Amino acid sequence: MTPTVALRGLTKAYGRVTAVDGLDLTIQPGEVVALLGPNGAGKSTTIDMLLGLARPDTGTARLFGMPPAEAIAAGKVGALLQSGGLLPDLTVREIVELSAALYAGHRSVPDVLTRAGLTDVAGRRVAKLSGGQQQRVRFAMALVADPDLIVLDEPTTGLDVEARRSFWAAMREESGHGRTVLFATHYLEEADAFADRIVFVRAGRVVADGTAAQIKAQVSGRTIRATLPGADLNALAALPGVDEVESRGDAVLLTCRDSDAALRALVNSTPAYDIEVTAQGLEEAFVALTLEGAK
Amino acid sequence: MKTYLIMELKRLPRNKRVLIFSMLMPAVLLLVFGGLNKGQDLNGVDASAYIMVSLGVFGSMTSVMGRGGSIAVERGIGWNRQLRLTPLRPSRYVVIKVATSLLMAIPPLVVVYLIGALGLGVHLSAATWLLVFLGSWLGALPFAALGVVIGYVATPDSVQQISALLYMLLAAFGGLWVPIEVMPRLMRDIAELTPAYWVGQLARNPLFHGSLDARGLLVLLAWAVGLGFVALRRFRADTAKA
Repeated sequence: MTPTVALRGLTKAYGRVTAVDGLDLTIQPGEVVALLGPNGAGKSTTIDMLLGLARPDTGTARLFGMPPAEAIAAGKVGALLQSGGLLPDLTVREIVELSAALYAGHRSVPDVLTRAGLTDVAGRRVAKLSGGQQQRVRFAMALVADPDLIVLDEPTTGLDVEARRSFWAAMREESGHGRTVLFATHYLEEADAFADRIVFVRAGRVVADGTAAQIKAQVSGRTIRATLPGADLNALAALPGVDEVESRGDAVLLTCRDSDAALRALVNSTPAYDIEVTAQGLEEAFVALTLEGAK
Repeated sequence: MKTYLIMELKRLPRNKRVLIFSMLMPAVLLLVFGGLNKGQDLNGVDASAYIMVSLGVFGSMTSVMGRGGSIAVERGIGWNRQLRLTPLRPSRYVVIKVATSLLMAIPPLVVVYLIGALGLGVHLSAATWLLVFLGSWLGALPFAALGVVIGYVATPDSVQQISALLYMLLAAFGGLWVPIEVMPRLMRDIAELTPAYWVGQLARNPLFHGSLDARGLLVLLAWAVGLGFVALRRFRADTAKA
């Protein structure tokens, strides 16, 4: 099967700054993928190359096995850019109708306006809308094309919590129809809540790729917390499976690569009580993956 | 493409600034200078008629160039980038801009001719009116191309100043504000280097000879092709980069 997205060895430098550095990514039809990474990780540059808006220095980008421009001309792609791209003097209905007209197999405009929650403001000029509403307009423009692939670059940046929530609710409903979705974000919760697969990008490379659970596992480690007054921290650090030890008053915090071994040893060799074992969250993984590069 | 064209047509009256300015400025100039020279004779032609035609050309030129400026504004807000993510071919975008530019050349001509006929008592035969209009309108073509060049070179902040500077220079040196006939020799030689001069000649020729000036038409065609070529190159460069 032809992958929906196939990026091979993409590299792009702006002056002396390498924005994307040998990035590979394959996305199969129907996948919902988050391109997650801190600001400046190369997400937007990657998306620009994927859409043919920027030319890679080396490597190739293919959508549906075609160069991006061809896939776009064939109406297979709907994209939502981070900002701009709206004519302020058009009404919501006009701009969505216009987008619809550019695609041969487009969807009904009233239907899309309803889905994007724009029916009430359909007659209003784009310039008069709030940031959240404008983002819905962009979403409607991408949706009305009825594309096989939707690409969203930081779709909720600058939106308030409520607007973000309703944006994703609408988006989730849409992706149910077997559409392939790729979105860039630096919001961890969004990647976790919405994507089937998270591709973590740092310094222009993919550093982790998998489900949220797999990414957590990759960074791995669990934390053991126990109450142990007067603990000998050096002795604890020497226990099997323990990486780091911290004390918090009467409590100790053990960061473990093998929490099972550490727990057995802790119980056998110390009078520790109130023991809790917690897995590291995606957030810790995110921080760990981000920091790894800074070292 | 049809929907896009219709949408652009609907948008035309929304940009009231360019529209009003392109009608107001020649209208005011015509009332002042046409009024001052009313009844005067310029090489056998009514001076009011002469000034009317020149200012009509000036108005349509500003209007057409202002239209090209909308490309700069739309590039600035990322609209062209957005369009590149749709199946619309970029060349069609430019074709639509040029077509609507030429449409925008008409309102200033109509306003100026109405003021001339009703306010200054300019009397021309129906055939002369038609030829004068046709000459002015055809002559707008190189300015439409120039507008596209400006649209792809200028930023949204600079576009108005750049086009204003350009059409003022063109109007002043091309003899649209001051009749060529009263200019010193050197100024006339300079005037011939501008396309504005040739549009003026083309549009005013019917007043003198009752026909369009074939040489003017050819020179303008050359200008249109030349500027069209530059516009095409700027457009290609802009489309190729991110």
